[in-house]
Amino acid sequence: MAKKSVWSDNRFWQRSAAWVTGFASMLLIWLTFDTIPQIMLGTDADLQNGVTKRVPGPTVINYKITYEMDKKRGHEIPVIGEKEMFFGRDDYSEEEAAELLHLGKLGSQVKNCMNCHTLLGNGAYYAPDLTKAWLDPAWGPEGSMQAMTGKSSKEEAMAEFLQNPSQYPTHARMMPNLGITAAEAKGLVAFLKHLSSIDTNGFPRNFGKIQGAVHGK
Amino acid sequence: MANNYLTTESKKLATWYFTFAAIIFGAQLLFGLVAATQYVIPGFLFEIVDFSVARMIHINALVVWMVFAMIGSVYWLLPDETGIETVGIGLGKLLFWVFAAAIVVVVLVYLLVQVGPADETSLWLIHEGREYIEAPRWADIGIVVVVLGFIYNLYATGMKGNRSGIVTVLMADMLAFAGIYLAGMGYTDNISVDQFWWWWVIHLWVEATWEVFVGSLAAYGLITMIGAHRKVVEMWLWIEVAMLFGSGILGMGHHYFWIGTPEYWWEIGALFSALEPLPLVAMFIHVLYDWGKMQGEEAAKGQDVSVIANKPAFTWFVLNAIGNFLGAGVWGFFHTFPQVNLYTHGTQFTSAHGHLAFFGAYATLLIGMFYLAVQGKNGIKVMNTTKKSIWATSMIFGGVLGMTAALTLSGYVEVLVSRAQMGATWAGYFDSQASVWFMQGMDWRLIMGVITFLGFFVLVADLLSIGKATHHKR
Amino acid sequence: MVGEILMTQDILVDEFLPLFIASTLVLVFGGFYVGIYTAVKVKLLKNWAMPFSYLFWILTAYCLYLMGSYMHVNDFTAKALVVAAIGILILPHAIYYMQDRVHEENEH
Repeated sequence: MAKKSVWSDNRFWQRSAAWVTGFASMLLIWLTFDTIPQIMLGTDADLQNGVTKRVPGPTVINYKITYEMDKKRGHEIPVIGEKEMFFGRDDYSEEEAAELLHLGKLGSQVKNCMNCHTLLGNGAYYAPDLTKAWLDPAWGPEGSMQAMTGKSSKEEAMAEFLQNPSQYPTHARMMPNLGITAAEAKGLVAFLKHLSSIDTNGFPRNFGKIQGAVHGK
Repeated sequence: MANNYLTTESKKLATWYFTFAAIIFGAQLLFGLVAATQYVIPGFLFEIVDFSVARMIHINALVVWMVFAMIGSVYWLLPDETGIETVGIGLGKLLFWVFAAAIVVVVLVYLLVQVGPADETSLWLIHEGREYIEAPRWADIGIVVVVLGFIYNLYATGMKGNRSGIVTVLMADMLAFAGIYLAGMGYTDNISVDQFWWWWVIHLWVEATWEVFVGSLAAYGLITMIGAHRKVVEMWLWIEVAMLFGSGILGMGHHYFWIGTPEYWWEIGALFSALEPLPLVAMFIHVLYDWGKMQGEEAAKGQDVSVIANKPAFTWFVLNAIGNFLGAGVWGFFHTFPQVNLYTHGTQFTSAHGHLAFFGAYATLLIGMFYLAVQGKNGIKVMNTTKKSIWATSMIFGGVLGMTAALTLSGYVEVLVSRAQMGATWAGYFDSQASVWFMQGMDWRLIMGVITFLGFFVLVADLLSIGKATHHKR
Repeated sequence: MVGEILMTQDILVDEFLPLFIASTLVLVFGGFYVGIYTAVKVKLLKNWAMPFSYLFWILTAYCLYLMGSYMHVNDFTAKALVVAAIGILILPHAIYYMQDRVHEENEH
């Protein structure tokens, strides 16, 4: 029998596999402990004091959100600006805003948005990405979607569309009627506005470069 | 069953799991076809079975049939590996019926109820609306109970009988596989946190624990089909476990590039996911190495006969090595770096990768297990291919490769039009969807999907009839 | 501080196709390199095929270089890619060496 080498010893490899797996798992858990606090929802006080959070608090719906190039980081980031009306108000309390976001996030799951659209780039590819839908020029004052619904604000246009999607065909591929109520639609729009304020490390890149949305115009 | 050569209850139970898995596999392909048709004819079944519903069933059926076939595979190999009858086989049979019934109810609710009001009850009873693990919460809990029962059987059998290297790996792997599922059961209003944990389930399943499962199954297959040396195979297996978990666990980083998580995941994701193809290359070499060695030994004895005891199953095992390398390796690698993924994330590229990776890495091997079960059930020593098995293999593998190529073409159009130039707006999205090249890609995907679906029927016909063919060595 | 930003500039529209092809070929050529090397070692192929396996490694390394330049990677990533190329070169040698040891010990 040839001399026994450590490299051909099953026990050596078994131990190596255990150590490598253990080490990788510990590293993942450690990184999780670092990441989770960074992506927890911010608070209303953060917003008032201009503290930047990767995931702002629900009251971000009281503010104007833009998507701007950050020279230092080399990509676009959402920027929270001055107050902005949302369904005619800009003074949603923390509880009210949280309730809207809760309804909207729940609605996004129950109505199965993710099996046609992408959210943060994850989901299906049958319909547009919703990550920055709130900032999309198509829904802006000059956009085709707002004009089509005959509403005077972005949030009302979105809510109207969500309730009666098949009345506003934008493409041969239509959104089906999902029985979304007026309250649910308001929640969903709040959810979308909040979604657009999440710092996604520059995804999507060059958003609306051609239509001029990058600098929030 | 007139001629059932199976001597253990465990193997009989395995054939139940395989049968149900094959039926769900068919359902997966059927609803995939519905969704593919909707890309080409958008009005098809509009507001009857919408794309969201068809796709939900398509990807859920995928997960379910694979889990069934994986559980079946374990019940199949346990008596061979441990040398004893599986402990708790009665429990195993009961859980089979519970699991199968639950799946039928879940699918019927998906199909007939579809959506509910935006409240917690809908999450409990209808679905959770997070892709791949949409199952409603009652089913989540049911799945955990069923899988715990299965793990109890695996552990009890492994500890009572001979605990081989393969069984040891499976015991650790299946426990992780079940434990990780718990990470995806919660609800939160924060979508970044939600997707963070959701990826724990999806990624740590398909890029870590499932891959290790495939490694163990391939090891078992090489021992049973070509008589590879256990010591060599099990050493390979440990090396593969080290490589797969070493790269796969932190390869998680490539899902954390854009969901709100910090930028350091760019470096972690890029580094570890660049390493992820290495174990896939190693698995491919493993098959080649063992096959060459065993055939060489046979030739040295002056016998020019094949060492392969089950030709169709071995074909699928080889296709697994190739498909895993192509689908998970090549198609994963070219969009895994953050610099590139910024433009490819959420396009049909992901879909192309998903199709070839799930098929190449998992479906192929599990179909190979179906053939092993047919061989065992009919008491065949050397099982040869039939015309049908060659047709089924070519149609299914060719069909999926064709779908992947078509989706890659469509994805490329999306990257150029809606990402690089139009910056991912609604207008950019619809411009890319209206491109002639994109639409051609979708046409070809549907055609290739039909070929795959037809291939599935040939496969079923072959599985049902190959055992009765007369050209095998019994 | 260009070296610190991971994404130094946009990928040019014309360069997506060569980039995807180069990164695909990294693994395809890499697979050929490792595959031919192993096949020769286990005598599924004759010895004259061996230089081809190294030729494929050279192609792999070149495609890695192309991929890196189309992605405009920073200095650190460029170094990592060089290490990767060397790692690919060593990989099949190390694995074959270990496999052979275990095979010999079991048979002789």
